[in-house]
Amino acid sequence: MEAQDTKGRIIKETFPSEMVSIVGDILAGIILSLLIVTFDSFLLLILIIPALLSLRGNISGPFIARTSRDFIIGEFNKKSWFENVLATFTLSLFTALAIGVFSILINFLLIKLYIFHIGLLIVIPVISIILTLTISIPCSTILNFLAFKRGLDPNNVVNPVMTAIDDFFTVICFYLTIIMLGVP
Amino acid sequence: MLLSNNYYVGGAIRLDYFKKIFKESIIIVLISSILGLFSGTLLSNSQRILSSFPIILLVLPSLNSLIGDISTVLVSRLTSHLYIGTLSPKIQVSDRLKQDFYGLAITILLSLAALISLGYMLGNVFGIEIVNPLLIISILIITILILFVFMFVFLFMGSILIFRKGNDPNNFLIPMITSLADFLTPLFIIIFIQIFVNI
Repeated sequence: MEAQDTKGRIIKETFPSEMVSIVGDILAGIILSLLIVTFDSFLLLILIIPALLSLRGNISGPFIARTSRDFIIGEFNKKSWFENVLATFTLSLFTALAIGVFSILINFLLIKLYIFHIGLLIVIPVISIILTLTISIPCSTILNFLAFKRGLDPNNVVNPVMTAIDDFFTVICFYLTIIMLGVP
Repeated sequence: MLLSNNYYVGGAIRLDYFKKIFKESIIIVLISSILGLFSGTLLSNSQRILSSFPIILLVLPSLNSLIGDISTVLVSRLTSHLYIGTLSPKIQVSDRLKQDFYGLAITILLSLAALISLGYMLGNVFGIEIVNPLLIISILIITILILFVFMFVFLFMGSILIFRKGNDPNNFLIPMITSLADFLTPLFIIIFIQIFVNI
């Protein structure tokens, strides 16, 4: 079947998913352009955002793929889901802490902007990624379940849609976090 | 199979699936996320360019995810072809490879056209200043085309080499390309703006 794939089929299957992804990311871009740019600490904030968006691809993406696979091979149950979620949150915490520590280092070496308490560079990624995952994990699990129940391949459907949802909520949660922490 | 290893020992839950995920992912996820910080440093150091062309900031998350998504599709397709034998594990041009190249190239160009139209439309609606639109569109097209060709060659060769060593290209290449795309996309845009505009 794979051997019969033509360029026409690739375009037909990939382009609509990409459109969903683009719309979600454009919305994320609007929030970025309108809300985050206005902060005095923009130079420091823009340092963390790409790392958080990468985190979405590196952690949420594999979570979705593992859930899809568990549905497809018939291994999906409460326990496997719980361990998958636990691993995703643990990986996120470790990575968010690493992002925070490296941000402090980069600020110390290159940017040298001390507009707020430097410890917030660790707190901001931790809180915003936890908030994002709290939305992303239930959403992607429900989408996986619905796609599977309707006879679709969750691998093809859920990931591009979740790219849009995740990127949008990453920026929203980041904005809420800096507002909550009173970042100037 | 994978999850059947989970069982209770003396009332305590053995988190084998959790441990497996954590062990396999932690290093590559940490490396990829730190690479993401370099993208942030790049943006932070290019504040003058970003404030001169605010539309770039609006379309940047979409551009990053566009090249990332297409690269992910490419790696998973190449991996499937290698496993089912429709692609020979040799670094050579084949009909299968040409179909993937043209199919994904047309998809990425169509998606870019949609992205630019939507970005400019929403930029107008939200009052985001659009400076020198033709130049920015040309820069975005050149950036995406160069990145696509680079990613295609790199991922094709990478998939073949990883597959030859008996490993699954999906596990290593997918987390890596997300961060690589996030770093290279703004880098190329900033380089081209500096080349074409005197900033």
